[in-house]
Amino acid sequence: MTPEQRKLAYELITNPPPGSAIAAAKEWGVDLTLLYANLLRTPTERAQSFAAMARSFDILRAGEKKTALG
Amino acid sequence: MKELPEILKTLYDAQIDFVVIGGAAMYLQGSAYVTQDVDFCYARTPQNIKRLTTALKPHHPVLRGAPAGLPFTFDARTVAQGMNFTLTSDLGDLDFLGEVAGLGGYDDVKAAADILVIDGMQIRVLSLIGLIKSKKAAGRPKDLYVLPELEALELVKRKTGAK
Repeated sequence: MTPEQRKLAYELITNPPPGSAIAAAKEWGVDLTLLYANLLRTPTERAQSFAAMARSFDILRAGEKKTALG
Repeated sequence: MKELPEILKTLYDAQIDFVVIGGAAMYLQGSAYVTQDVDFCYARTPQNIKRLTTALKPHHPVLRGAPAGLPFTFDARTVAQGMNFTLTSDLGDLDFLGEVAGLGGYDDVKAAADILVIDGMQIRVLSLIGLIKSKKAAGRPKDLYVLPELEALELVKRKTGAK
């Protein structure tokens, strides 16, 4: 994102226009700061981050299996 | 699971016609939602099915959740006779759908996709508008649950022009 895009996105996230989808999401419980953080990434960085998250699932899943086996 | 760019490269290098959909598409579009599988919509032409099955064969795809010993071969004949396949493979859990709720077949999904540059590859990823449409059409609680986030994200991206 350009500095201008970043500034506007930050304003929208921290001060959502009343009645907007952003305000509705905030009310719904969406952590808008996570959206902002992800928007700062390039698609390639998001793809790499996605894999890291998925690996965390694998680790948790392996832990669950070990626990289940005692 | 292998790195997402590695999974995409496997399909991209094999010249497979595909669109990233589902949770992975949401994340690539900027959502904070994370899923542990990667969903694709694929073109159901004989050539594309052949390319897909050939590219995945070295990664040992099997049906996810199927009983052990159930005979299954992810080959062109099997794919031609089916539509949607939920697979476990050496690349990770991969789902290949011939159609997407609310959108239609591959050509419709392709028309609703953005092209994102990932690791130098031009990858078709379902747009936020397409994701919102498909989630509304699917209508399951897990689909409706993510709608507020997708709609907020779509507005932020539209207002800012962010990719």
